[in-house]
Amino acid sequence: MAQPGVSGSPAIVHRLRQKHRNPNADHKHPVNRAHYDDASRGARVADQVSAAIGSWPFIITQSVLLLVWAAINFWGLFVKRWDPYPFILLNLVLSFQATYAGPIVLLAGNRHAQKDRITLEHMADEADKGEEQINRILIEIKKNTDLTLRILKELEAESA
Amino acid sequence: MATDAKVTTARGRVAAKHKHPVNQLFHDEATLGEHVADQAAAGIGSWWFLIIQSILIVIWVTINSVEFFTHKWDLYPFILLNLMFTIQAAFTGPVLLLSGNRQAQKDRLRLEHTAEVAEVAEKATLEILEEIERNTAATLKVLEHLQKRRDSRSAAPAQS
Repeated sequence: MAQPGVSGSPAIVHRLRQKHRNPNADHKHPVNRAHYDDASRGARVADQVSAAIGSWPFIITQSVLLLVWAAINFWGLFVKRWDPYPFILLNLVLSFQATYAGPIVLLAGNRHAQKDRITLEHMADEADKGEEQINRILIEIKKNTDLTLRILKELEAESA
Repeated sequence: MATDAKVTTARGRVAAKHKHPVNQLFHDEATLGEHVADQAAAGIGSWWFLIIQSILIVIWVTINSVEFFTHKWDLYPFILLNLMFTIQAAFTGPVLLLSGNRQAQKDRLRLEHTAEVAEVAEKATLEILEEIERNTAATLKVLEHLQKRRDSRSAAPAQS
């Protein structure tokens, strides 16, 4: 492997690894700071809800509850059946879940779209800043070239 | 950069280590749960899934409505099929959020990486500018030196 450049320098990778799975880390990028560290209460709750529902514990728990419900009401285990085959009440409960999951998915999507918008705005600012720096460098090099040309003229006049 | 660092096959599978540190952390160092989450999102969001689901629905409805088939388990209006749809929707929501959370995690990590690299780049740009300014100052001194020499030479013959 070639030497890692700036992009993959060990120090940077180390810092990234520490923030990898921690959205509450102290962020460096202004957009991340605005989006996570300075999030409003509603935004924070939205993030927490989508993190909770979009997680393996939620999916596994839901699967177990679903199987238990179906098993009890199919074979009549332990207690009186409250929702016999074909499980119409279970259908209602799951529909209820899906009814809320949809808007929450959109909530998370909107959060993300907002972040994308801010990221682009920030990139435009950065591009302006970069252009200004490049212009300063260009002006400086032009100054340098002018001086070098004047030295050349001096030398030419001397040897003439 | 090493040319053997091919990262994706034609089907998008990860074949070797990624070059970008964000991809390394996100894909190469994914936990089992994260890996399965990516696979699940890729599996459900594919034409294969849609096609197989459609075929199963057609088979289910056909067997339970056409008289030719004798073993029926879910007569019109297909209440159990309704439950199946609901179960699918009840799991798609969380998987959607799971996948969205993964993407948000990557986005967060990418911005942090951008900020790290931008910091280094800005420092380098300022160093370049300072170096050119030093060069300009040195060149200016050379010019002044030459001018002084010319002045003293043109003054010398006049005095003699």
